Amino acid sequence: MSKCRKDNLAHFAVTVIGKDRPGIVADATEILFRLGCNVEDSSCTMLGGDFAMILIISHEKPFLKPRLAEEFRIFHDMGLSAYIRPLHDDEVCYQSPQGELCLVSVYGSDRPGIVYRVTRALSERGINITDLNTRLIGSREEPVYVMMMEAALPAGFTIEEAETLLEELKKELKVEISVRTITPVSL
Amino acid sequence: MPARTILIYPHPILKTVCPPVAEICGEISALIEDLVDTMHAGPGSVGVAAPQIGVSLRVCVVDVSQNRLGRENNHGLLALVNPEIVRREGAAIMREGCMSVPDYTGDVERSTSITVRYLDGTGEPHEVEASGFEAVAIQHEMDHLDGLLFLDRIASLKTGLFRRKKYK
Repeated sequence: MSKCRKDNLAHFAVTVIGKDRPGIVADATEILFRLGCNVEDSSCTMLGGDFAMILIISHEKPFLKPRLAEEFRIFHDMGLSAYIRPLHDDEVCYQSPQGELCLVSVYGSDRPGIVYRVTRALSERGINITDLNTRLIGSREEPVYVMMMEAALPAGFTIEEAETLLEELKKELKVEISVRTITPVSL
Repeated sequence: MPARTILIYPHPILKTVCPPVAEICGEISALIEDLVDTMHAGPGSVGVAAPQIGVSLRVCVVDVSQNRLGRENNHGLLALVNPEIVRREGAAIMREGCMSVPDYTGDVERSTSITVRYLDGTGEPHEVEASGFEAVAIQHEMDHLDGLLFLDRIASLKTGLFRRKKYK
């Protein structure tokens, strides 16, 4: 069992999504606060016209999913979707990557399969995506697809090897791809 | 001198503006020695500031010469007493981490080239032009002397790459 996990805590992933407006975060976290839950980790952002929240929360045991689900039921009347996933022990802790961390930019004329082809190529080499954003930009006539991701290379795998790996795809998909290191510096 | 324990936020000294060293004496030489030992004890550490080991004085040490990013361009071990940045140029973003804020990193914008005026451990005045990773390290350590952590300087969230802006 990981050392970050406290045995007395139950962990859940809570996902909330709905049409953006001021107050979604406050509404969701008010419920959690009243229940005595802690927000341990979270990532929330605008996606299209929606606002999406993903949270890892904890509560002293015993605490079960139905209790959370019941509280979030009012969200459905407010036009928000909420989904609750109980977490297993091995899902709770962040595993920091061993190898180099890099930022991969992919952009070019929009076409089907950009995300799929690039990410499959990475996964086949054991490269782990840790963060990913995509957006459709450009004009209606000439839509441009932009994908930015952070990925952890396996130990010993170099940035140059990652570049070589993506070189083929660059030609095939007719997109620009660049890779650069963003491994944090410890000061 | 043994390496000292690095204080971790929320220790209040890390958020305190340190007073300048009034007089260079044996105590300051001992402090510098401790800072150097502490830096060498930290895994991959390239600098330590006095408040990080519990001393509220404007003293820090930097040495990027053993680091991949600083190997080619550095002034070796720098012991900075009452340092002052008298010139800044350029700006670049680097993802920083800090021994006093474990398990978190963030993108911080720093000047790419700086001139630092400081006293060494014997009280001699110096002026050094630093650039690249060495300049980043000096700015990070000097921030500690003003009670600033990299958390106070995060330039953008990762999603900042996609900051929405309509150009119409």
